[in-house]
Amino acid sequence: MKKFVIAVLFVLFPILLSTAAMAAGGAGPSKDMLKGQILSVDAAAHTLLFEKDPTGEQLTLKLPENIAPEEVKLNRKVLVNLVHQEGEHQAEGEPSAAAMREIKDIEIMFLTMTLGRILALMGIGAIGGLLSGFIGSGGAFVMTPAMMSLGAPGAVAVASNMCHKFPKAMVGAYKRWKYGQVDIKLGLVMAVSAIIGVQIGIQIQKFILAAFGGAGSNLYISVVFLVVLVFVGGYIMMDAINLMKGSKAGDDEAKVCKLALTMQKINIPPMMTFKTAKITISAWITLPVGILTGMLAATIAVGGFIGVPGLIYVMGVSAVAATATELVIAFVMGAWGSFQWGLSGLIDIRLTVLLLSCSLIGVQLGALGTTYVKDYVIKLVMAATMLIVAVSRGAMVPSYLIDLGWVQPISPSTLSLLNSLSFWALISALVIAGGIIIVAMIKGMTAGKQAA
Amino acid sequence: MKTESEKKAKPWGKVIVLGALSLASYLFLFKNESAVMELYTRGGISTAYPILTVFWFSFTHGAFASNLLSCLGIEAKSSGH
Repeated sequence: MKKFVIAVLFVLFPILLSTAAMAAGGAGPSKDMLKGQILSVDAAAHTLLFEKDPTGEQLTLKLPENIAPEEVKLNRKVLVNLVHQEGEHQAEGEPSAAAMREIKDIEIMFLTMTLGRILALMGIGAIGGLLSGFIGSGGAFVMTPAMMSLGAPGAVAVASNMCHKFPKAMVGAYKRWKYGQVDIKLGLVMAVSAIIGVQIGIQIQKFILAAFGGAGSNLYISVVFLVVLVFVGGYIMMDAINLMKGSKAGDDEAKVCKLALTMQKINIPPMMTFKTAKITISAWITLPVGILTGMLAATIAVGGFIGVPGLIYVMGVSAVAATATELVIAFVMGAWGSFQWGLSGLIDIRLTVLLLSCSLIGVQLGALGTTYVKDYVIKLVMAATMLIVAVSRGAMVPSYLIDLGWVQPISPSTLSLLNSLSFWALISALVIAGGIIIVAMIKGMTAGKQAA
Repeated sequence: MKTESEKKAKPWGKVIVLGALSLASYLFLFKNESAVMELYTRGGISTAYPILTVFWFSFTHGAFASNLLSCLGIEAKSSGH
């Protein structure tokens, strides 16, 4: 326990120091988003007076045509998303361009908590935690859209989930460390390069947003989802099925793939030995896996979908150790991200702790579940989740293509059908993955009791 | 013959104490919702509040969950991977 706490503090301290620098460098929430409250509305001029948090600076902003002045809520904390503008050229003596910027939309920052929302958050947390404890991936791809569908603004959903992710990952990592599955050294080494990867991912996103706007950004994210989830998920699924067949034929051992064996033979110093992961590998090999994990986390919020397969198939770590070690990376990145979002005051602590109420149980269940199953079951759950989420994201691609004007519009009923398909595919990813985990655990526990 | 887990006393005492602490924390947070939200969303140095809060919940509620699972007999397999 002492070693674990020291490792946690060792990680948190530099994160705290570097966050201030990175926040100044532009990481974190977009500059086209303002937090504060609306003081008054001028219906005739179609503008409103906005007071920014925490500076108290007052701005006059232009209301878009689709928002009626009477719809605007006064004196409540809101998030105002502004229409993106290129670099502003301000002539001398003219009022600041920021005062005349146009609003894209206004979101009430903090949900009213109802019993339905509380129960939904607890349910989402439970299954997301189970998944996280078992396959090392945080479930953010479901939790964030789920919170948004409950009414939370996107930025608040992302911030609150980030703040939930790192303590959950910490508890999951601790449990799996107790089972002897976590390679803390490997996790920390990968986390450093993952943070670099997040910065690269953010810069790419900013470039695409500036070049192609919101619809282009959504399309980019969905294409990344599809490519990674289909190819990587498909590969893992094939591997899991082969292992399952081998297991039934009596060959239980997961073999290290040829690529990983080749990577392990590369002898470029510094060579690093990771005892729990049982590999000795050049530090240079860990860099691209970590960077890609961070880039993917910045793009689709789930670094584990590259991180875990990277650890297994590029570095030759077992599925158990890879999913466990990924929790260390998730903890570091989650802590770092939480500090950044927290600096902007966007964490809704109520959403966070309600998710934690059941995810802390789920993550421990998932963690101990890994001790009852064979390697291929972990791969099976990961692959199934990835492939179903690919369907979910794929269903949204047509709407982004239409928004960009790259394809002809389709009927509203078809669009609505695709939105429903996307939503229910996400839900089914959680339910199916959760079901496989629970069934496998029950089988394993029952077999264990019978053997005793 | 009893298994090793059955021989160990179940930590019901810890479950009750930690459960009470966890529940009290949740009730306190939601009873003072407005003040908490105002304080926690100021940004800047106030970042410390949500971060420390989730650590608190992780340790109390996490330990409660761990002990609860032990009391329910749901434990890791003794010989791991």
